[in-house]
Amino acid sequence: MKIGFIGLGIMGRPMALNLIKGGHQVSVWARRAESMQPLLDAGAVGAASPAAVAKGQDLVISMVADAPDVADVMRGVASAGNRGLVAVDMSTIAPAAARAIHAELAAAGVDFIDAPVSGGEVGAIAGSLAIMAGGSDAAFARAKPAFECMGKNIVHVGGPGAGQVTKAANQIVTGMGVLAVAEAMAFASKNGVDRGKVREALLGGFAYSKILENHGQRMLDRNFQPGFKSWMHEKDLNIVMQTAHELGLCLPGSAATAQMFNAMVGSGLGEEDSIAVLKLLESLSGQA
Amino acid sequence: MKVGFIGLGAMGRPMALHLHAAGQELHVWARRPQTCAGLPATVHATPAALGAACEVVFTIITSSADVEGVALGEDGLIHGMAPGSVLVDCSTIAPDVARRIAGRLAERGIAMLDAPVSGGEQGAIAATLAIMAGGDAAVLERVRPLLETLGQRIVHVGPNGAGQVAKACNQMIMVAAIEAVAEAMHLARAAGVDPAKVKQALAGGSAGSRVLEIMGQRMVDRDFAAGIEARLHHKDFGLVLAAARQSGVPVALTASVAQQLNALMALGFGKDDTSSLLRVLEAA
Repeated sequence: MKIGFIGLGIMGRPMALNLIKGGHQVSVWARRAESMQPLLDAGAVGAASPAAVAKGQDLVISMVADAPDVADVMRGVASAGNRGLVAVDMSTIAPAAARAIHAELAAAGVDFIDAPVSGGEVGAIAGSLAIMAGGSDAAFARAKPAFECMGKNIVHVGGPGAGQVTKAANQIVTGMGVLAVAEAMAFASKNGVDRGKVREALLGGFAYSKILENHGQRMLDRNFQPGFKSWMHEKDLNIVMQTAHELGLCLPGSAATAQMFNAMVGSGLGEEDSIAVLKLLESLSGQA
Repeated sequence: MKVGFIGLGAMGRPMALHLHAAGQELHVWARRPQTCAGLPATVHATPAALGAACEVVFTIITSSADVEGVALGEDGLIHGMAPGSVLVDCSTIAPDVARRIAGRLAERGIAMLDAPVSGGEQGAIAATLAIMAGGDAAVLERVRPLLETLGQRIVHVGPNGAGQVAKACNQMIMVAAIEAVAEAMHLARAAGVDPAKVKQALAGGSAGSRVLEIMGQRMVDRDFAAGIEARLHHKDFGLVLAAARQSGVPVALTASVAQQLNALMALGFGKDDTSSLLRVLEAA
């Protein structure tokens, strides 16, 4: 399949490389020309603009930072006049923004899918991302072979926006999950109990989770290297809280968690992994 | 003085009438022309036309986007107001939007004050509003006589945007206090104690406050007719949380109260008084 790819950062670069490995013909565009080089070396064709990268393709995929960036590049894609094109955005943005882009592209004859991912840089390199898609059945069927090069657990959740709703739900669970594990660790230590032994004991029971296992281990190792940067988790939780505000939805746990992440960014922990919320808890309780 | 007024709602209408009563020549514009009916004022077709006729223009409208549209949009004030004239925006909007509007107007030599108010419809009618002003101190002194016909406590908080920051702080304290009173009333009733007696007992002590007095009484009377429509506090909390996020300042209690306001909206109490936070607790 002929695929255009826009956005070649930490996530986008390995995802595009996996498409090439999967035998697809890939054209690329990135805001910074130098980030295109590794892809050109791997056999991709460079394009001069989002519009150019959309010309003559079966599929266009974007992986960029935020909703205004997605809207910008997708406007360029729509201007290519490639009616019948399927455009996929795999960034994490607000569901309402994804629906607005879907409507705008539909008017240009482009079928849009929101398909955010979970699994981080490790998952992007391994081609094992979880992909949660929202859009039409026909567009999902077109994009599926590309998804299969980049991810493992691929779910067509529903119509436009449903992928972003799922990703927001994912960030609620992971945000509160990381905070819950960090609070359990702080609780154990303040009680004079070995937090490593506590984690080990909990892993066999009903509190088992991937977060307790993986993030918990990194908390024990005090390895705060990202991983997933806490400012990005804060951004995603802000999408959750904005959406809750617009809908009239009471999310007290998410709200408390979002404030902890807000404090992390404010106190200079934004570039560290989200498990650095442990440091914040420790300093609040005199455990630093 | 020729004074323009835009935003003739529950707050704006009595404010405009006070300015007229103090001898100012009143000019008005409204999106829906019938809003201007019966006012002792010259009615204009656009904000720009109103701006061209006035030395000072007041606005008090709901959202950041609406203020920006009236001030800077097509046919906006910026296209009519003369250099040296003053826009006094009494709306509650985001501090960064207030700063942006002030910056654009300044390019044309038009001064702006962000001057949000507290005191509600009652305060507007009684001309007892608290006014928190952001902008140039000399500009505030020029319009102070006009502000004194609207309110009693007029404080220059700082440069443009500072008034809106103060208003955000005001909303944080006030609505959190309403939630605290609602929870206390709810607990009293659940424990089999008369909320009216509890309120009466507390009024003399350290927990006594204007919120306990006014909102507590509404809760005791179960009189949830607005007052100030709760949807406006819900809107304001969106602004407060966005400002906290921009500054990286954690606001745990505000975020928690915001969720109670979200529930209030979901339960359909948005056009009722914020004392309806009691009914949110009762719904759980």
